[in-house]
Amino acid sequence: MERRALPPCPPAPSPGGASVRIRGLEHEYGSGARRVHVLRGVDLDVEGGGHLALTGRSGAGKSTLLALVGGLERPQQGELRVDGEDLSLLRGDALSGYRRRTVGFVFQHFGLVQVLTARENLELALSLAGVPRAARAARADALLAEVGLEGRAGHRPGELSGGEQQRVAIARALAHRPRLLLADEPTGNLDEEASAMVLELLERLRAESGCTLVVVTHNPAVAARAPRRARLDDGMVRIA
Amino acid sequence: MSHRDALMLAVRSLLRRPLRTALTVVAVTLGSGLLVALTAIAGTADSRIINELGRGGPASAIKVVAAEPDRSAPDSDVLRTGRPRDLDEAAVRAIRRAPDVTSVEGVLQTPVEVIPLPPIRGMRADAKGSDRPTPFEDNLVGADLSRPRDLPVTILAGRLPATHSLTEVAVTTGYLDRLTIDIDHPQAALGTEIEFGAPQIESGSVVHMRGRWFRARVVGVVAQQVGDGDFLVPLDQTRQARSWEIAGGADPDGGRLPTSPYSGLIVVASNLDQVHTVRASITVLGYATSAPEHLVASVLKYLHVVDIVLGGIGTIALVIAVLGIANALLAAVRERHREIGVLKAIGARDRDVLRWFELEAVLVGAAGGVLGAALGLAVTAIVGAVVDGYLVAEGLDGIDLGTIPWGLALLGVLGSVALSVLAGTLPALRAARLPARDAVGSL
Repeated sequence: MERRALPPCPPAPSPGGASVRIRGLEHEYGSGARRVHVLRGVDLDVEGGGHLALTGRSGAGKSTLLALVGGLERPQQGELRVDGEDLSLLRGDALSGYRRRTVGFVFQHFGLVQVLTARENLELALSLAGVPRAARAARADALLAEVGLEGRAGHRPGELSGGEQQRVAIARALAHRPRLLLADEPTGNLDEEASAMVLELLERLRAESGCTLVVVTHNPAVAARAPRRARLDDGMVRIA
Repeated sequence: MSHRDALMLAVRSLLRRPLRTALTVVAVTLGSGLLVALTAIAGTADSRIINELGRGGPASAIKVVAAEPDRSAPDSDVLRTGRPRDLDEAAVRAIRRAPDVTSVEGVLQTPVEVIPLPPIRGMRADAKGSDRPTPFEDNLVGADLSRPRDLPVTILAGRLPATHSLTEVAVTTGYLDRLTIDIDHPQAALGTEIEFGAPQIESGSVVHMRGRWFRARVVGVVAQQVGDGDFLVPLDQTRQARSWEIAGGADPDGGRLPTSPYSGLIVVASNLDQVHTVRASITVLGYATSAPEHLVASVLKYLHVVDIVLGGIGTIALVIAVLGIANALLAAVRERHREIGVLKAIGARDRDVLRWFELEAVLVGAAGGVLGAALGLAVTAIVGAVVDGYLVAEGLDGIDLGTIPWGLALLGVLGSVALSVLAGTLPALRAARLPARDAVGSL
């Protein structure tokens, strides 16, 4: 795969990755007899530009922790700061702005808009990031070239393989040059070969952009690629 | 998210479920089409009925006579007069200057001896077996026939006399009745001739009575009287008869010789609502009037009720149709909850999602509204053509299909869009409030 430097993308991103500091984070769902205490005092630090693999059994709260760090939910109790910004104080448009500026998501289900082509998916993300219309197409094509899909720009997700869709999703996650990249089971729906390609791509792009990467996975082989690993058990983190 | 992005998402999302979208658009089309068609047909029917009330001419026509008004009943539909009062050019100018007056036409009637000339087709023999019509006395009614639309008459057969003709006359159905001609076949009277004799009494120690005789051909049959007489002729004709009558120096009936240049006026108000005001203005000027304003007002009230009922039926159909939009969008929200979560995860705000779904509602409403307006106009044209054919076959005036109600069609489109936006608000709000958390898996 040919490697290219990403073209400049206004507004200029802050250099380096975002640091994450979590102290005594608790979270629960439901009420009464149906109440589920998912996180029970999580403490965790991720240094800026670091690469952490988060593992744990199903229902351990991995996805919840990822959602909280990514600003998809507001913390209920405890401290959660990203680059010193207290996420519990953000709501509404401020929380959307945080996601738009700071975070890039890669989902197990890829999360591409099915009615848009690969290029249009990227252009939509660039539009949300405030990139001028005139610059979007070139930037989208450059991103697709970066993930080796320059020939598939006009294809819709349904016309791409799982591995290709996840590469488009990675390109979209990086479109606005996030400082924190969160991947939720990024290889969960991929075969071995596609998984290896996607993981290599994630690691390379993280190294090039300097962003912080947190990968949630069941797969020990995927976790083993990260220099730092943490396991969620019974709502608490154990550092491996 | 820009409007353009939201529009692209909306269009593509609608095309993802083409059958659902098509059925929703068809429902809105039928609802909107029904509303436009019912309203247009009701409007045409209203015009037709009002036209009938106006007896072919303007329903807002007011008859003015050369007499003072009866102050005890100024608002009566029936003519109530006081003492005679001349209607001269000064009075005509004053009435013409009154607010909300569209036109003023002078009418002059003169007494004549009438001798219908045989042969007359369609005339039945009388009790004595004679088919020769009996001479009788009546009035010639002269009017300016150059603007027939300002006269409250319906032409049943033929045409009105030429503007300055002294040899043509139009007769009313009263004349056909007198001659026992079937009024359902007024054409029978066309082409027949009538001998008229305008009387003159020469005053002096010995009374001499003379007639100014002239012959006129019947060129038309009208349904109503413009004045008190069955014979409508150009104003020139009655002016000559009046001059002849006055030249004798005595009134044929033994009374005072007429001095008023006009025996009456036909005044047309700018619209039906102004008839009462115009009548009041004329009453203040000192002349008696008559107009079917109470009858017209009552009928208009009933027509308004019918309009409301028909419009209500159409509106209910449209509301049911746009509820289909709400249903389809709610299904779409359920289907796309993860997609919505992903959009929020990559930075979309609640209002971006709201705009996306509202635009889907607007697109469906606009498509249905435009198609519905076209359908409604087509249905109106077809129904109008069928009704027109029926009326003409029955010997009645047809209805005017010449004007396409573009304003109504535009209102139909705008109404469909507005209702669609309302219907789309609940699903759009629900979509906008979906948590971004739906983008990732559970726990």
